[in-house]
Amino acid sequence: MIGRRHLLRAAGLGAVAGVAGCGSLFETRSALAPPLVEDRPDAPYLPTHVEGMAMVGTAEDTGYNCALTYTYPHRFWVVTGTHTRQVPIQSSDDVHLMPVVWDADTGIVPPDLTPTIDVKRDGTTVAAPAPWPMLSQPMGFHFGENVALDGDGTYQVDVSIGAPSVPRTNGLAGDRDGATFRFTFEYAADAVEDIAYTDVPADREGSRGAVDPMSMPALPTTRSPPASTLPGTVIDRRPMGDVTLVATAIEDATPYGGAADQTYLAVSLRTPYNDYVVPMASVAAILTRDGDTIATPALGPAIGPHLQYHYGAAVPHLQAGDSVTIRVQAPPQVARHEGYETAFLSFDAVTLTV
Amino acid sequence: MTDRRGIARRQFLAAAVAIGGSAALSACLGREAPTIPRGPTDRSDYPARQHAWNDVLPRDDHGNVKPPRHRVILSLELPGTAPPTATDRETVAAALDGVERAYARSGDGLLLTLSYGPTYFDRYPDALPEGLDLPRPGPLSPFEDPARDEPDAVLHLASNHASAVLGAEQALRGTEPTVNGVDQPDAALTDVFTVADRRTGFVGAGLPADHDDVDGVPDGAVDDDAPLYMGFKSGFEKNQAGEDRVTIPAGPFAGGTTQHLSTLRLDLEQWYEQDDRWQREAKMFCPHHAETNAVEGVGDNLGTDSGVDGCRDTDRAAREMGVVGHTQKTAAVRRDDEPLLLRRDFNSTDDGHAGLHFLSLQASIADFVTTREAMNGTDVAADSAVGERTNNGILQYVQTLRRGNFLVPPRQHRSLPTPRPA
Repeated sequence: MIGRRHLLRAAGLGAVAGVAGCGSLFETRSALAPPLVEDRPDAPYLPTHVEGMAMVGTAEDTGYNCALTYTYPHRFWVVTGTHTRQVPIQSSDDVHLMPVVWDADTGIVPPDLTPTIDVKRDGTTVAAPAPWPMLSQPMGFHFGENVALDGDGTYQVDVSIGAPSVPRTNGLAGDRDGATFRFTFEYAADAVEDIAYTDVPADREGSRGAVDPMSMPALPTTRSPPASTLPGTVIDRRPMGDVTLVATAIEDATPYGGAADQTYLAVSLRTPYNDYVVPMASVAAILTRDGDTIATPALGPAIGPHLQYHYGAAVPHLQAGDSVTIRVQAPPQVARHEGYETAFLSFDAVTLTV
Repeated sequence: MTDRRGIARRQFLAAAVAIGGSAALSACLGREAPTIPRGPTDRSDYPARQHAWNDVLPRDDHGNVKPPRHRVILSLELPGTAPPTATDRETVAAALDGVERAYARSGDGLLLTLSYGPTYFDRYPDALPEGLDLPRPGPLSPFEDPARDEPDAVLHLASNHASAVLGAEQALRGTEPTVNGVDQPDAALTDVFTVADRRTGFVGAGLPADHDDVDGVPDGAVDDDAPLYMGFKSGFEKNQAGEDRVTIPAGPFAGGTTQHLSTLRLDLEQWYEQDDRWQREAKMFCPHHAETNAVEGVGDNLGTDSGVDGCRDTDRAAREMGVVGHTQKTAAVRRDDEPLLLRRDFNSTDDGHAGLHFLSLQASIADFVTTREAMNGTDVAADSAVGERTNNGILQYVQTLRRGNFLVPPRQHRSLPTPRPA
């Protein structure tokens, strides 16, 4: 892997690379985002290129850790319902800023803790976005936003989170206070250009698949736990639309807000190839026994110490032979990086047998 | 439509309000040269409610009240910790009388309220009457951490004429002996208070688009007809509480109201550059509106209500569509089929960034809290594809920087009231 500047030069785009340091932002940006692959499949696919990232630093506050990371400005897609919208890179964008917040005890990156960022220079706010929850192939789930800065220099960046909005289960505290993390960011446009930039060969880009997760030794992963480590009895692990569905039934729903004679039905949705958590969907179930419907629970989002982020509900005690039909009422509303924007938008219901 | 000269004039007038001071007033008068009606000498028939504005404001073709276009808010501090004196009270009363003689009580004249915060009443040994709800401000969502905005008093000046708000402000600061041709008394609010903060802004068709040159507003993104930065009408007649509903019904402050004032920072880059029209309509109103193209332009076609009766139930929209609208969430908060809040908010370029001074009146601050909790959508975020901010109305684009709670006494007690006025 090499920095983009060198890659572009190597790729014979010397003229463009030559102006990268000369303030001709528009030229640089055009070079930054190669054209999208034509005929993208409606599934995870290999993007045109992969970008690395750089870290500003890490900070801790009240039981949370935060790493502030950044990379080249990105194109991404926001999702509203089943409607996707490409967010183009603006000529003024300097970096794609990604604050990664995780629980210090469990290492979980909670998708419901939406950070706000306050980027100050000399005491004056120059940007204060609420970054989007996003899914990317190299990084998995994270929050990110393209940010316009005010030239090279020293910035103070405050990242703030509030209280959880998704229920916590099995002993995790759902009533925690928010936290604020402060960073000093020495920004240099030249240094951004040295962030790793890997071209995906033309004969591979656009084909079904996903690039490998990047190595992020200082950060926790957002890959879902292996099915074998989940509490309860795993009912099934199988594809559902473009995701992998893992369903588990846990006897005694008490630690999950239910009753002792109930089963806690937990479902996790993961990306294929790399098992990243796929949050922010509306998931529901239909439970049938001997052909009769016994319950139609909404499986709400929740976070537990072992299940991590999942969709679950306390349901009537499940017995061998019961059918569990899982359906996705609204697709994951998480924004997408290239390679995921056409995926995870429609799902056929699947029926599992306990 | 508006010609270039008209736009330049509008830009100039609102900019003059933002700058303030005698020079801005002079420049404004030179440019605007309005004939502003003066107030009568005998104002004994003025309403008991300071917040009785609607009867003297113009209405649009549908009957919606058109809010005064130019605004100034002054945060006032009373030095020391002792209660004010009778002389202080007379000075404040005389100063307010002065501007009321200079400007008629109307949209083309001047509308004003003077309100008081909990810290003002703290200087008295007596507490506010039982049942009068004036808590210290605090965060109202799990994901905000606003500063407490706690001046002793807040003056709200409003007019369709920039020179009226500026003239009234200068008179109340004691720097203009004559405004609108009317000599002012030798009494100023600043004889009693210090001015701790000054906020300004505007609302009304054309003004936000004229002010797209500040930080945080993509050039040309705001519809030329939009009354607010986010591009849609608000304050529809049926989505606003009436003045009766927001009036304190009994006790020594009967005829008064409570005022919540927050400073909101808007992220219009995300709103306009990242979202499209479909998303904006879904998030401002409801996904059903977006699906059915229910909103034309800035929403004038909606008439006197936001039409959210046609939206799906909020919980169902969240689960099945993954998005809920701002109006859809808040419109559900009603008592006897009437909203609880009377919004008198306005946009701002204070601190060089697009913002909203959210000012609302309600019978009790609890009514504001209830409505804001509905806006938070924490129930749908806990149970559906809708995120804490993502696709949760307009929460993604709005950051609460500070919040304050104030009591707007009835007119007879507007000058430095005691907690138990007779």
